[in-house]
Amino acid sequence: MLVEWSDGNQSALDELYPLVYDELHRLARRYMSRERKDHTLQTTALINEAYVRLVDQRNVRWSNRSHFFAISAQIMRRILIDHARRHAYAKRGGGAQQVSLDEAATVTPVQGSELIRLDEALKSLAEMDPRRSQVVELRYFGGLNNEEIAGVLHVSQNTVTRDWNMARAWLHQQLTGSASN
Amino acid sequence: MTPERWQQISRIFESAISLDPEARAAYVADQCGVDESLRSEVEKLIDSHRKASEENFIGGLAAENNAALLIDENEVQTEHRTLKKGQQLGSYVIVDLLGAGGMGEVYLAKDTRLDRTVALKVLAPNIAADKRRMQRFRQEAKVASSLNQPNILTIFDFGEIDGLTFLATEYIDGETLRDYLHTKRLKLGEVLDIAMQVLAALDAAHEAHIVHRDIKPENVMIRRRDRVVKVLDFGLAKVTEKKTATRASDESEMEAATALKTTPGTFMGTINYMSPQQAQAHAVDERTDIWSTGVMIYEMVTGAMPFKGATSSHTIVQILEKDPGPLSKQVKVPAELERIVLKAMAKNPEDRYQTAKDMLIDLRNLKRQLDVSAEIERTSSPSMPQATVAADEMPRNSQKTRVLVFALIAMALVTAAIFGVNIWRSSRARPNVPTSPAPVAERSLTYWVTVQKFRNGKPYQDPFTQPGEMLFEADYQIRLNFRAPQSGHLYIVNEGPSGASTTPEFNAVFPTPTANGGSSLLSAEQIIQIPEQTWLKFDRQEGTEKLWLVFSNEPLPDLERIGEFAGPRTQGQITDPSLNKFIQDFLRTHSDPKPDYEKGDTLTTLKSTSNVIVYPIKLQHH
Repeated sequence: MLVEWSDGNQSALDELYPLVYDELHRLARRYMSRERKDHTLQTTALINEAYVRLVDQRNVRWSNRSHFFAISAQIMRRILIDHARRHAYAKRGGGAQQVSLDEAATVTPVQGSELIRLDEALKSLAEMDPRRSQVVELRYFGGLNNEEIAGVLHVSQNTVTRDWNMARAWLHQQLTGSASN
Repeated sequence: MTPERWQQISRIFESAISLDPEARAAYVADQCGVDESLRSEVEKLIDSHRKASEENFIGGLAAENNAALLIDENEVQTEHRTLKKGQQLGSYVIVDLLGAGGMGEVYLAKDTRLDRTVALKVLAPNIAADKRRMQRFRQEAKVASSLNQPNILTIFDFGEIDGLTFLATEYIDGETLRDYLHTKRLKLGEVLDIAMQVLAALDAAHEAHIVHRDIKPENVMIRRRDRVVKVLDFGLAKVTEKKTATRASDESEMEAATALKTTPGTFMGTINYMSPQQAQAHAVDERTDIWSTGVMIYEMVTGAMPFKGATSSHTIVQILEKDPGPLSKQVKVPAELERIVLKAMAKNPEDRYQTAKDMLIDLRNLKRQLDVSAEIERTSSPSMPQATVAADEMPRNSQKTRVLVFALIAMALVTAAIFGVNIWRSSRARPNVPTSPAPVAERSLTYWVTVQKFRNGKPYQDPFTQPGEMLFEADYQIRLNFRAPQSGHLYIVNEGPSGASTTPEFNAVFPTPTANGGSSLLSAEQIIQIPEQTWLKFDRQEGTEKLWLVFSNEPLPDLERIGEFAGPRTQGQITDPSLNKFIQDFLRTHSDPKPDYEKGDTLTTLKSTSNVIVYPIKLQHH
């Protein structure tokens, strides 16, 4: 007979965190510099960072692409929230400095504290409706499109669109404070 | 809010927003009836929906919207410790700043003792204070300085002066291959020259049991004056297990080797050039560098990376699953180059070049052939397509022409043969590509088995993939992988070697309460791996294990019960005699007609026109 061999359940989240962390920083930098020509040293430095962070890490395995996408989105969320928390903390401690929003931005930036509130609202949503909360996580934090989200959650794309509309409206309501529970 | 209330609100909301704005109010009023608070909730949500759309609320990507949050912490630290021009550090005089990054700064400096120009990498103080980072820096110095090869950046010196940790290396006046690729499209001859030099560097490193693990255009420098290629940054390199018994009496050597032996399966390097083994955090060996070199050549030839997704997750999935596609899609390349590059990028390391030297030899032969073709192009003038992608000019004696024509014809034949083989292979690997009008409702299921060897309870060597038919050793552990072009429900039970007895006993393999979210449903093109986190291993009893697959387009309620037994409580053993009996009868009645099967090198595909495919995978083990 075949028996399943258990090596103790390692937390895939913890294992992947550092990798995605660094990828995110790179993405952030590229995004902010808008395709400024790559600097060799900086990229290398980032990878060095990744290495240093990972020397103690152990194997991580995921079962399939859905699993991997889902985990990545969770990690992205965690990293961003961690940053937002630290940022908010530093702001409270140090001389408060108002950051002016870029007026040319085409999307509403959810900065620092607002991101934390979004995270809290998503948690509340997950208690009532885990799937809708996950749709938001996969799309907004994981960068997946509807087709991919449908694949991860085993639902149709129409369902994803509907879930998104509802979840977004509700989150907007929570964040603008016009909610009444 | 209760979940029921929430569902009620969302149902009305969703229908309402799909209606015209005029029809909405009436619809909502009708649905909510006298429940005023329900109506108010729905209306507020509809209003929020409108505002959220207008504002493009959470419309982009979280990481992009918050990019500033991510950057400002780590970025600014390096500024304050800058050395000034003309400043002295030991015997080095600073000439200029070449660049700066998270790890520190790199200066152009003059070594006054030896009167030579060097690149001086000075570690940022916060990093130098970090033990682990320092260790990594030291490793880079040790590894690279142990290699003496013209295509590897030479390390001159390493140490600490005035509290600053530094690394002095050969200074290369040139640019990285990345910069080079930004500015110009390479000629085929240049591509081959660069690739061959990188492989020569890797050959030397591998010879010394050092795997670079981070081969990419950023780490390849091209010297301006003579186009000599230098491989940089052995910062991620690791010493592999010694294949031959070398005397490691030298204690410091031992120490270096142990220090460098990182845990197998750590994530490393730039994502786009990672091998599937790196991307899956498996242990890697020399063949990971072969992969990355393949990716780099692909990029040099086509101008695009073969694996590049919208996010790192997409990229990794592509690396694991996507066929890189022909090089010849955008540019005309010799079939032989395509073969070499695709071989280097074989997903399974066993199918790749096993050594850098082998790949180097193939590239060198190709280069020679192209030079020969170019020569013929010039001396006689038959228009040969191969010759137009001329390599570098190399003056030759025209007396050789006749011999060369012969050589060229021979080469063309070889090329055709290789190309023919490729077509044959790819059509075999993808049995689902319809070649004629598809038969009515043919269903198919593809499976493959991932095998991981274990020694002393630890994974040993890279896992490999095969179609199921082989003799398994007792210490092999396996995973089953499935994929189907149409969705269907999958059930798997295991029948042990004892064979058919009067009291049948099966073990539950799939579905399980956890795998695939507890579902038996395999979506179209979904790849499912069983088990997800761990491995299946064989028990002590030798013989042939049958893994019975049942793939049905409808859920089979009786077989759904298999999942109940796939837990630690029963160790997978199906303890219900009536279910065992049912399974036995079901398998017997549905085994006929047998599905057609096609076995490839790594995959097996089952095909059938019936609604239920039943098939035993037979695994023979010691």
